[in-house]
Amino acid sequence: MEPKAKNRFVDYLNIDDHTVDRVIFSGDELYKTEQKKIFARGWNFMCHESQIPKPGDFFLNYIGEESVIATRDRTGKLQVFLNSCRHRGNAVCRAEMGNARAFLCTYHGWTYGLDGKLTGVPGFRELYQEKINRDEWGLIPAGKVQSYRGFVFATMDPEAPDLEEYLGDVGRTGLNFIASQGDMVVVEGVQKNRLECNWKIVVDNTFDWYHAQISHASAFMSGAFPRSLPDDTANELLHPFGSKQQRVLFGDYGHAISGPRLTDAVWDGLQRIAARDESIVPSPVMNSLLWRLDPRAGEELGEIGTRSLGHPHIFPNLFVSTITNQVALRLPKGPNETELWWFTFVNKDWPDEVKAGAISLATRVFGPAGMLEQDDGENWEMSTSGTRGLIAREYPLNYQMDAETTNLTVPEVGAPYIDTLVNEHAQLWTYRAWADWMSAESWEELKQNHATPQDVFKSA
Amino acid sequence: MFENNDQLLPPLPAVVTEPTLEHMLRHFEVEQFLIEEAALLDQGKFQDWLALFAEDVRYWMPIRRTMTTKDTARQFTRPGQMAFIDDDHAMLAMRVRRLKTGYAWAEDPPSRVRRLVTNIRITAATEDEIEVHSNFYTHRVRLEKEEDTWVGHRQDRLRRVDGALKIRQRAIFIESTVLQSPNLSNFF
Ligand code: FES
Ligand SMILES: [Fe+2]
Repeated sequence: MEPKAKNRFVDYLNIDDHTVDRVIFSGDELYKTEQKKIFARGWNFMCHESQIPKPGDFFLNYIGEESVIATRDRTGKLQVFLNSCRHRGNAVCRAEMGNARAFLCTYHGWTYGLDGKLTGVPGFRELYQEKINRDEWGLIPAGKVQSYRGFVFATMDPEAPDLEEYLGDVGRTGLNFIASQGDMVVVEGVQKNRLECNWKIVVDNTFDWYHAQISHASAFMSGAFPRSLPDDTANELLHPFGSKQQRVLFGDYGHAISGPRLTDAVWDGLQRIAARDESIVPSPVMNSLLWRLDPRAGEELGEIGTRSLGHPHIFPNLFVSTITNQVALRLPKGPNETELWWFTFVNKDWPDEVKAGAISLATRVFGPAGMLEQDDGENWEMSTSGTRGLIAREYPLNYQMDAETTNLTVPEVGAPYIDTLVNEHAQLWTYRAWADWMSAESWEELKQNHATPQDVFKSA
Repeated sequence: MFENNDQLLPPLPAVVTEPTLEHMLRHFEVEQFLIEEAALLDQGKFQDWLALFAEDVRYWMPIRRTMTTKDTARQFTRPGQMAFIDDDHAMLAMRVRRLKTGYAWAEDPPSRVRRLVTNIRITAATEDEIEVHSNFYTHRVRLEKEEDTWVGHRQDRLRRVDGALKIRQRAIFIESTVLQSPNLSNFF
């Protein structure tokens, strides 16, 4: 049961008042529309090329709720197909990863090549009298499959803009935070777990630098972090109320980067560590930021990206964790269920002990047993529950933090941004983009009609 | 084939599980140890539980993947790859400290957890060390109706320190590939 649907998707948001209708976090009809208009149309992260280096290597993932196979064909080309046989719909691949010569349907034995072509039909001569046109009955392919610096994405919509254009400055910078460190590869083992919450509640949290001081108080109190973070960042997490160190970058189609900046003090510290100044004892996290001093990385990230410690989010559902070198997918599994998948990266050329340190940090911070993430899940579940009640749905959610900010900067080149306090601007931006995606009937329309940051935030 | 054969520590000599008095006594001692350990956790006596671990403990829960029969040897991630949990003593102690901060929301109000530890099998031993396998069924109930179940098998290396058994290493092999719980804020 949902209250009367709004006429326009943007009416679920009150941009002037900075509020968001609760129904978008649990409405069944809205969820179905998201499957079609957001997930089938958008670029979905599949895997990293290092996970499927050889022909036949495959990794199962999802586009919305639909199972897809990401693989490499005989020629080495990346391919993504729906994991569903064209005969009765059965899955043609059941292992979540591995290497296959072909995909054999276990129901009646139709066989598909790594390029998706139907190559084998039992009884082709005797039962089908060779009349079935095998060329027409291959696996259903993605509309486009492309990779950006090793990150493989797929969209079902052939009309979608190319990946690089889709990512734009902000999305590319988000992935560059990992890719610019060198020859980055995924460590074996993707942590997966399921939460009873809406996927957008988790996306919302990507930009939430307000919750750490209370949600993650136990982690800080038991000594999990401050010693390993640059002082300013630790401060930002624990006492996010006074400082003006946050930067929010806005990208077309809902991408954003939001979070603390590397302050001059931290930047200066990095330079001193690089110059082997012995008066400064580098923490592991400081060491993990040194690559940003590399001029090539500086070029790739740009002035704005280099100094950002923010959390990038690539619409609709990929979070890039800059401190732990991870990406997290938030897969929708129904209006009230989401799976979290964590992919962890290391540089192939790092010494073993540096790799081990990075893997250990990632394991201990995030994932279901992570010191931070343990305390997130129940909040997200109960926030989702809190959007289901018909009475509760009469009352919108509040995104008014720093609402009076008037310093949106729109540079000649690069992404529009706001330098300010801890805020909820990136969340609002995400929902504004969500409304555009939900309204548009095609990519053509979405390209024409999508909000700019100037439509949502005031400039000085 | 369905177990992880990674040896984190050098192997111990296998034991013959004959009904000798020696074996029965050892089995009884180990079984009591594991049952008492589970009771401490069920009762929320985490500090006492922590005291059962050797200073150089490794407490490890690899990730399991759904893979075809030919790849079953690869279904668990290996040491040095990603894991759900890979703790040393300091990290385990931090988890125990966390629960006492009063801000550990995932366990506050505290969960009601019941652990069934069964199928205890001693497979190898020396004078000082024992390799023991056990199955676990851990059921957590939280708040009004949050329920989570974890099922799996543990491979423990116990060490005798000043006469008492300590856990030198615990490897936790879970049956799930996608955990159905919102977190792993409990202990196994
Ligand atoms: S369903 Fe695949 S062959 Fe019949
Ligand atoms: Fe969090």
